[in-house]
Amino acid sequence: MSDPLPAGVVDRVEYDVERGKIREFTRATFTTDPVHTDPAAARDAGFGDVPATLTHTVVAGHQRDQRAFVDSLGLALARVVVGSVTWTYLRPLTAGDHVVGTRRVVDDVQREGKRGGTMRVVTLETEYVDADGEPVVRLEEVLIERGEQ
Amino acid sequence: MRTPAKVRVGDAPDTRVVGPISQTDIVRFAGAGGDFNPLHHDPGFVATSGFPGVIAMGQMQAGILAGWLSDTFGVEHVRSFGVRFVAPVFLGDTLTVGGTVATITEANGESLATLDLVASGTKGPVVIGSATVVVAAT
Repeated sequence: MSDPLPAGVVDRVEYDVERGKIREFTRATFTTDPVHTDPAAARDAGFGDVPATLTHTVVAGHQRDQRAFVDSLGLALARVVVGSVTWTYLRPLTAGDHVVGTRRVVDDVQREGKRGGTMRVVTLETEYVDADGEPVVRLEEVLIERGEQ
Repeated sequence: MRTPAKVRVGDAPDTRVVGPISQTDIVRFAGAGGDFNPLHHDPGFVATSGFPGVIAMGQMQAGILAGWLSDTFGVEHVRSFGVRFVAPVFLGDTLTVGGTVATITEANGESLATLDLVASGTKGPVVIGSATVVVAAT
């Protein structure tokens, strides 16, 4: 984690996918499928251990400093909104996985806003790889910075 | 792996109603996900922000919509899930989440359905989403 980040990389997070955190996230999102909380149900359904819920990668928030991250992109926090987020799944993230997520800027453009003024639209992609280095899930985030009034 | 769901284009599986959203719900999500922005729990801070009250983090309603999706189709069958945040969720709002099968295509021996998803609050949509899921061959 202390290695310098390669060019174009915004940040990197690393964590163990744990049963307890999966349970917390399952409850916090009103998800009811017992495969997320009951290892026996998970095994009966063909999983090696309990699978994480679909947006589990949000737990990276525990390791991130949103203000420092926004500053590093040269964005004004008060004018930034998250426009959209898309997850692409290569296999279910499962308790026992150890993942490293590397976030990169893949697009950074100026656009004309609908009501005049210019917006900056920054697209970030985070790829999470497992302990074998195989990709598990990719996450695309689009940040929109409104122009100054 | 569990058997994929049998659906047809136009099907809209039963929706889920969550709410009214409480401060406790938001704090529970903050603890799970690690988003401790005071907009989501500190009324004194919110009063300086321009918002009329505490708002939920968009990832909370996105996660609730994702929970409906995986509970309905099986987490192992979901290939993609995307959301756009269109309006804030305030304390006391009740959310209705669900979706409709838009297309089904066959590719590489699998049937893939695309879904149009929406989470709506009392005044209209708060999150609009889409997903690709593996479904039973037709």
